[in-house]
Amino acid sequence: MGFFAQFLASLAAILVLAWVSHWMELGRGIRIRDAAHAQALADEVVCGFAAEETVIDETGKAALLRDRNGRIVLIKLHGAQFSGRLLGPGSGALLRNDGGRPKLEINPGERLFGTQIIDIERPEDWVHWINAAKAPHHYA
Amino acid sequence: MPDFSPIDFAVPFFVALVLIEMIWARRRRPESYEPRDTLTSLAFGLGSSVAGLLTGGAVLAMSLWLYQFRLFDFGDEWWSVWWAWPLCFVLDDLGYYVFHRFAHRVRWFWASHVNHHSSQHYNLSTALRQSWTGFFALSFIFRIPLTLLGFHPAMILFVGAFNLIYQFWIHTEAIGRMPRWFEAVMNTPSHHRVHHATNPLYLDRNYAGTFIVWDRMFGTFQAETDSERIRYGIVRQLGTFNLLWSVFHEWVGIAQDMWRAPWRHKLSYLLREPGWTHDGSRETSDMIRARWLQSRGAAAVSEAEKPVPNDNPIAGQEKPA
Repeated sequence: MGFFAQFLASLAAILVLAWVSHWMELGRGIRIRDAAHAQALADEVVCGFAAEETVIDETGKAALLRDRNGRIVLIKLHGAQFSGRLLGPGSGALLRNDGGRPKLEINPGERLFGTQIIDIERPEDWVHWINAAKAPHHYA
Repeated sequence: MPDFSPIDFAVPFFVALVLIEMIWARRRRPESYEPRDTLTSLAFGLGSSVAGLLTGGAVLAMSLWLYQFRLFDFGDEWWSVWWAWPLCFVLDDLGYYVFHRFAHRVRWFWASHVNHHSSQHYNLSTALRQSWTGFFALSFIFRIPLTLLGFHPAMILFVGAFNLIYQFWIHTEAIGRMPRWFEAVMNTPSHHRVHHATNPLYLDRNYAGTFIVWDRMFGTFQAETDSERIRYGIVRQLGTFNLLWSVFHEWVGIAQDMWRAPWRHKLSYLLREPGWTHDGSRETSDMIRARWLQSRGAAAVSEAEKPVPNDNPIAGQEKPA
């Protein structure tokens, strides 16, 4: 089989496999269950992170956690797993009005990580805290 | 000399096994697959094959040139020396261990190898998540010693392909543990799950390709423990399925760090371990593990210092142990 035919066959196989996993509804329905779950996820982002305050988005797809030093971790659903960032100097937050209800819009300062819109109680408090957060990035 | 590529023949089996694992996932663990992740991993595999095809000729030509300087000579009919094949396989696997350890401990090599680790899922499609930049990262240099020893480059490529095929099936959560004797000698799904984990206990462990004995010999072995739920991926998860960013993010990171760093530190961002910084603003795997062990120690001490509950009538009469 020539290279081009082999390439096309591989590409077709890839698309079929991705479609099958979609058709089987794999990786769906994953949510942040509760504050303890969110805490465990934050600990994965920053080893030893101890949240004093935790809020979980209404849909369970995102969470914000704040420790006693004012550091804030953002957790988001990523595929069937979760991904998070310690918000730092490049991050920002603002309130946006979605159907009369204020929601929190968070820019983690990383275009490909994506802006997160979170539906929580008292979003204005978090706007203040996030914009005040000046934690250095902390990753390996 | 057999004139075929083992990997080409293995690909249909790879596809069939991925399908079988998906059926298992649907019944037992639906979160172990995700369509976009699968698509990204398989696109990595396809791109890697193309990159291999574009650069393979150059590697082979260089290897054939080096072959003239070999220490030992198996003769013109080198392929008929039967014992050279298993010997070459074992030594190639040792070379793979060395390469793999460098790939995790030197950021230059990590920038290429990180592609294989950047999925947060662990399934057979992850096995096909191969680097596009292996040639650029000069990963082939780890096979040069075998050529200089006297193994023909074609033989090295052949056994290397079988090594890669072996490593396919160990990328799964569908298999728990293999028989004890097998776990003692061979790399297995259990050992390799540890390798792909980001848990501090597991970071930078189990570099083996086929034989786990190398890790046991060189002190990098860590057994999978039932108490530790494994988290897969990289310490700082990508958080995106963007294919190009997934391929090149660490190279971009190196370039940015070198650009910003003071002159005397620039090279360290290339050659030191991933996570190293001159100002300590990030953490290496050793630092993460040390801090985790420290926090565990503190937790154990605070647990031991807790007073024995007063409502325990027996303990109430004695001091805590």
